[in-house]
Amino acid sequence: MIKDLQSLIGAENVRSDSVALSAYSHDATPLFNGLPEVIVTPQSTSDVVKIVKYAAQTKTPIIPRGAGSNLCAATVPLKGGIVLSLTSMNKVLEVNKAEMLAVVQPGVTNLELDQLVEKENLRFVPDPGSRNVSTIGGNVATSAGGLRGLKYGTTKNYILGLEAVLGTGEVVRTGGRLVKDVAGYDVTRLLVGSEGTLAVFTEITVALVPRPTDSKYGVAYFDDLAAAAACVDSIISSGVLPSTLEFLDNTCLVAVEEFANLGLDIKAGALLLFGDDGEGDVVAQTVEKMAEIAKKASGIRGVTLAQDVAAAEALLYARRCSLPALARLGTLSILEDIAVPRPAMAAVVKRIEAIGEKHHLRIGTFGHAGDGNLHPTIVINKDDAEEVVKAEKALKEIFALAIEFNGTITGEHGVGSAKLPFLEKKVGKANMDLQRSIKSVFDPANILNPNRLGS
Amino acid sequence: MSEKFSQDKLDRCISCGYCLPACPTYQLTGAEESSPRGRITLMRAVQSGTLEPENLLAESGFCLGCRACEPVCPAGVEYGVLLEEAREILWQGKNQPLIIRGLFLIVGNKLGMKLLGLLSPMAKERKSNPELHLMLGCFERRLYPDVSKAAAKLAPEVSVCKEQGCCGALHAHNGELEKGKEMARQLGEQLSGTIITTAGGCAAHLSSVIGRDRVKEFSEYWSTKDSSVSKVQINGRTIRVGLQDSCHLRNGMGVTQEPREILKQLGEYVEIPNAGGCCGAAGSYSLLQKRNSRKVVSQKVNDIKALNLDYVATVNPGCTRQLVTELRRAKVKTKVIHLAELVAMGTK
Ligand SMILES: Cc1cc2nc3c(=O)[nH]c(=O)nc-3n(C[C@H](O)[C@H](O)[C@H](O)COP(=O)(O)OP(=O)(O)OC[C@H]3O[C@@H](n4cnc5c(N)ncnc54)[C@H](O)[C@@H]3O)c2cc1C
Ligand code: SF4
Ligand code: SF4
Repeated sequence: MIKDLQSLIGAENVRSDSVALSAYSHDATPLFNGLPEVIVTPQSTSDVVKIVKYAAQTKTPIIPRGAGSNLCAATVPLKGGIVLSLTSMNKVLEVNKAEMLAVVQPGVTNLELDQLVEKENLRFVPDPGSRNVSTIGGNVATSAGGLRGLKYGTTKNYILGLEAVLGTGEVVRTGGRLVKDVAGYDVTRLLVGSEGTLAVFTEITVALVPRPTDSKYGVAYFDDLAAAAACVDSIISSGVLPSTLEFLDNTCLVAVEEFANLGLDIKAGALLLFGDDGEGDVVAQTVEKMAEIAKKASGIRGVTLAQDVAAAEALLYARRCSLPALARLGTLSILEDIAVPRPAMAAVVKRIEAIGEKHHLRIGTFGHAGDGNLHPTIVINKDDAEEVVKAEKALKEIFALAIEFNGTITGEHGVGSAKLPFLEKKVGKANMDLQRSIKSVFDPANILNPNRLGS
Repeated sequence: MSEKFSQDKLDRCISCGYCLPACPTYQLTGAEESSPRGRITLMRAVQSGTLEPENLLAESGFCLGCRACEPVCPAGVEYGVLLEEAREILWQGKNQPLIIRGLFLIVGNKLGMKLLGLLSPMAKERKSNPELHLMLGCFERRLYPDVSKAAAKLAPEVSVCKEQGCCGALHAHNGELEKGKEMARQLGEQLSGTIITTAGGCAAHLSSVIGRDRVKEFSEYWSTKDSSVSKVQINGRTIRVGLQDSCHLRNGMGVTQEPREILKQLGEYVEIPNAGGCCGAAGSYSLLQKRNSRKVVSQKVNDIKALNLDYVATVNPGCTRQLVTELRRAKVKTKVIHLAELVAMGTK
C-alpha cells in the first residue's frame, strides 16, 4: 500500500515510519488511541481524488484530519487505515469584499482566516475555543460553534459552498457563492457536520460579515451557576440578543485564574461573561442593560465592566482556556458537551452538581450559556480505576439528563467514536437508518471515516 | 519498565494543540511528530513501552528546545523539562553527538574554562558588592569578551570573579541533566547573592536550579537601576534598532518588556516581526542541525533586511553568533550587538 500511495502522490507525501504513525494515534480526546497504517499529505484536490479512489478499490479506511483538535475521537485511527492530513492544503484562494466571502483550502486555520479578512474589515464569525489551531475543514466537518453562537449562529450558518470528494473519488461542487440558492437539495448543509464520513472537503466558500467597530464586555459574579443561568434567562427575555453569554462555575473560575491571573473573584460560585459587539452607542447600551439586569438578579455578588479592549480580550482568552486550565487539576479530564433549552439550564446545572456529589467526583462546568450549551468536565486521576468507572456512570447520567430536558448529547463537539453509542437514544431508530442510507449513497465502499456517523 | 519521564509532567498535556502554531519546527514541516503535542505523544509512547526510545532520537534532535510551546500552553506543560529528560535518556553513549562531547570536555572542567578565559581579554577581577556577581559565561568569554566588559563597566557595584565555572545549561540541554544541575549549584555556591548574566539561556537554566530570585538577566538588572542613557547616534541621526528575544529568557523567565524599554531609550525602536520566535541558534542546535537551523532563521533574515535597521540587539550570545553569521551571509548591513554593549554606547 505504501508503495502504491507513493507512486500516486509522491514519496514525500507519504509517511509510514513508526514515529509518524505514533504521533497520529491521538486527537484531543482522552482515552482513545490507535495506530494508523500510513499518513498522507495531499497537496491538491487531484491528490485527494487519487487517494480516495485507491482506498475505495482496496477497501482501506480513510480518516480525514485537520488539526486533530476534536473532542469526540473523530480522527483516532481505531482500525488502522490512512490518515489523510489536510494541513498542507492551507491556502486562502480568495477574499472578496464586494461579495463578502472567502474561498479557502481546508487546512487554513480559523484564526489565520479571520486575521486575513480583518484587513478588509470583515470577520469570519465562528470562533471555537480552538480557533488558533483548528482548521476550517475541521470546523465545517464538525459545524463548530464558539463564543458568538447566540447572536450569530455557528459554522453551519456561514458555509456557502463546498468542493468535496465523495467516497467514490467523484468531485462534487455544492452551493456556490450566493446567499440565495435553492437549486436542488441543500447538500452543503448536509455535508456540514458530517465528520469526515460523507466526503472530503477540498475547497470551502465561507460567508463573511462586516467586522463590528465596537465591542464591550463585562463580568458578573454569582453565588452559584444556577443563579447565573437564571440571570441569562432574564437577560434574553428582556429582549436583548447579545453576542456573548458565557459562564464558569467556581471550579473552572479558580483554575482559569490560576493560569491567567486576571484578578477574578475566586470566591464567587460562578462567573458570567457577557458582551456584545456592533456599532458604538448601541453596544454600550446593550451591555449597560445586561449589567443592570445582572445587578438586580438573585444571587448576584458583583458586576464589573472591562475597561478596554485588552481587558476584554483577556477575559475571552481566559474563557477559551477553561478546558486546559481545568485539566491542571487532575491527570484526566473528560469533557462533555450537552445542550438544553435555555430555560431548563438552571435546573440542569443543579442536577449536574448533584451527580458529581453522588459519585464523589470533581465536575467543573463551563459553557456557552446563551446557547444552553454546557461543558461539564469530570476531572479524575486516570490511574484510579474506581474513579474511572464512577466517571463513566456519571457521564451516562449526564446524557440521560440532557435528553430528559429535550436537549442533546452534543451541542458542538460532535459524535465521533466517543458518542456514537449514545446517538440512537437521542435521534431514534428511524433517523439512524436514514443516516446509514445517506452514508451508503455518498460512500458506497464505506471507507470514509468508517464506524462513526452513519454506521 | 522503569520510569523514564516524569509521569506527572507527561500527564499534564491534554493534546489540545494550542501549542502547534507557536512551534517553529511544526511551521517548517506541518508534521504532527515535529510539533510539541506530537513529541509529547511520542514520549508517552516510549514511556508506556509501545515505542522504542531510539525512535525519539530524530525528533529530539530536530526540536530547537526554544520552549515557545510553553507560554502558550494553558495546561502548564513544562515541555522544556520533558525535552531535557528525553535527551538524557537518548543522548548517551554512541548517541551522544560528537560535537556535544567536545563541548562538554571544554566547559565541564576548570582547565577548559580557564583556557577559554585566557584566550580573550574579558572583564577584570574585582571585589565590589559581595552579594552581586557578574557571570562570565563559558563560550561567551571566548567569543564575546566585550559583553562582560561592557556589563562590568556599566555596573561598578557588581563583583567580578574570574574563578567561576559554567552554569551547566549546555549539559542540561544536551543529555546530561544531572551534571548540568550540579554545575549550576556549584556556580551558585561560587558566586554568592544575586548573579547577573548577559546570557538569557544561562539565566533560565541557572534560575531553574538555584531559584528565580537569585538570578537577574542584564536587562532585568539594568531596569532596576535608575540610570539614564542617551540616544545612540550614527552620522548625526538616532539609530534604528530592533530586538531578537532570547527564547529561554522569554519563554522560560517571562522577560520581554525590559530589553524593549531599554532600547526605546537608546534609539528608534522597531519591533522585528516574530521577534520572539527562535533564531535557530538554540544553544548547540546551529552546530548539530545546520540545515534546519538555517531554515528556521531564513525568514528572520528577510524581515531584518526589510526593516533597514542599524542594529539588532541580542540578549544571549548564541543569538549574536547566529545572526552575525546569517546576516553576513545574506549581505545584510544591519549590525548585531549585545544589549549591554549598546547601553554602554549610550552612556558614554
Ligand atoms: C481546547 C479546545 C477548545 C475547543 N473549543 C471548541 C468550541 O468552542 N466549539 C467547538 O465547536 N469545538 C471546540 N473544540 C473542538 C474542535 O476544536 C473542533 O471540533 C474543530 O472544529 C476541529 O477542527 P480540526 O481542524 O482540529 O479537525 P479534526 O479534529 O482534525 O477533525 C474533526 C472532524 O473533521 C473531519 N475533517 C477534518 N478536515 C476535514 C476535511 N477537509 N474534509 C472532511 N472532513 C474533515 C475529521 O474527519 C473529523 O471528523 C475545542 C477543542 C479544544 C481542544
Ligand atoms: S503541550 Fe499544552 S498546548 Fe500543547 S497540546 Fe499539550 S496541553 Fe495543549
Ligand atoms: S521547544 Fe520549540 S521547537 Fe521544540 S517543540 Fe517547543 S516550540 Fe517546538
